Amino acid sequence: MYCLYIDSHLENLVIALLLDGKLLEEKTITQAKHSEIIVNLIAEILSHNKISVDALKEIIVINGPGSFTGVRIGVVIAKIMGYTKNIKLKPISFLQAGALNYDIPITLGIEDKNGVFIGSFNEEHKLINDYSYINNNERKNKDIIIIKDKINIEKVYEYLKTQEPVSPHMLKPLYVKKLEVQNG
Amino acid sequence: MDVYILAIESSCDETSMAIVKNGKEVIGLSIATQIDTHALYGGVVPELASRMHTEAITLVLEDVLNKAKMKLEDMDAFAVTYAPGLTGSLIVGIEAAKTLSLIYNKPLIAVNHLIGHIYANNIENNMEFPMLALIVSGGHTELLIMDDDYTFKKLGETLDDAIGESYDKVARVLGLKYPGGPNVEKLAREGNHTYDLPRPVMDDTYNFSYSGLKSAVINLVHNETQRGKEINKADLARTFQDVAIDELVRKVEKAFKETGIKRLVVAGGVSANSYLKEEMQKLCAKYEAKLFIPRLLYCTDNAAMIGAAAMPLYLKKEFSDFSLNASSSGDIC
Repeated sequence: MYCLYIDSHLENLVIALLLDGKLLEEKTITQAKHSEIIVNLIAEILSHNKISVDALKEIIVINGPGSFTGVRIGVVIAKIMGYTKNIKLKPISFLQAGALNYDIPITLGIEDKNGVFIGSFNEEHKLINDYSYINNNERKNKDIIIIKDKINIEKVYEYLKTQEPVSPHMLKPLYVKKLEVQNG
Repeated sequence: MDVYILAIESSCDETSMAIVKNGKEVIGLSIATQIDTHALYGGVVPELASRMHTEAITLVLEDVLNKAKMKLEDMDAFAVTYAPGLTGSLIVGIEAAKTLSLIYNKPLIAVNHLIGHIYANNIENNMEFPMLALIVSGGHTELLIMDDDYTFKKLGETLDDAIGESYDKVARVLGLKYPGGPNVEKLAREGNHTYDLPRPVMDDTYNFSYSGLKSAVINLVHNETQRGKEINKADLARTFQDVAIDELVRKVEKAFKETGIKRLVVAGGVSANSYLKEEMQKLCAKYEAKLFIPRLLYCTDNAAMIGAAAMPLYLKKEFSDFSLNASSSGDIC
């Protein structure tokens, strides 16, 4: 069973293909305009493995948090593929995907220029409380580990095996940050 | 053979898809508007628009397929607005179109939103050339000559604000709700031309200017309020509209005289303004010119016009690849 993995939430764009939970191919592109690269990258990885979108049974998409536009690009592609070809959609946050590398309770973070997105997880990788975003000046004395390691895509696949897929209409980016207009 | 194009439009605050046959016949059209949401904030909030496009995208796709009673397998191409507009919003439609093009292995066609507004006049109609094209919207005010399909020569454009933008600003200063254009027009119908507002551009070019007119309205309201005088909003709306539209009429009349062209197409969101339509009808009658204005449904942003504008590109095989990106500016020529 083929599964496509899409992660476009930050500078690194990662597209991967799995077969029965084993990684067949993974492509990472850094510092590119995601919107100009991503569909080509998906097309390349599919044709290189001699399959079409029809062969996909599942899509794992990193739904955030991170660059709003970056996240949307991956999510929109997943939504359209899921809707048109009845492919199961399994979203996961980058923070939770990162937490799968740890077997202890942990608080992980993703930095952007003004602050950090945070998620705390228990030893079973379940989210404790909600995701949050704090500015750099509120960050002192907080025990946050910034995700630097590569995501283990096979582990993500295994973890999501037991999770219910999300319907294409309901799949949404995880923004965490509210808009300024909504705060006021 | 008939050509079916599925077109996507997400440049501002409407998520729209249409299935258009041969660039002429709208088989299905779906529009999810965000106007009520943005009205809460007095104007379009770009990030919010992008978020709403993302939430709507598959719902709109489902709706248009249901309305058209067609399948994606029946499509010959996928067209999408790539410019001009809000970049984050455009990207949602662009990625959706590219994904469909990949899945169904059919060409991707990139359409300029303004050209889309012009080709709205080709739906259920046949545009003839040469013609003058007046583009009037929230972001653009331009007068062009079209000698043929996709052949544009610019006569003039706004030096500052677009006409639709000035309507929105005037609406705000008059305390009218977003979207301002239709509300100013409605109020203007109840008023008389009693105020004195300056004519925008007095030179002999085809250029437009709406910033000075907008400022004059704002200053007038400010000064009268300071003096404790009450503004007659309907009269001010009427005076503003008279001056704003008269400017368009003068420039089109100059073009009729100097080019000898006997056709005019009016395109863009402001073409929904019925006073503009009446004035252009009078002008065209005077010069025995043929007037094209889309029906109301196709005046404002919609994907049917994108499907119509994609047809000449389909015939010329002017296709895009998956590296297509959004552009906030999108000059036609």
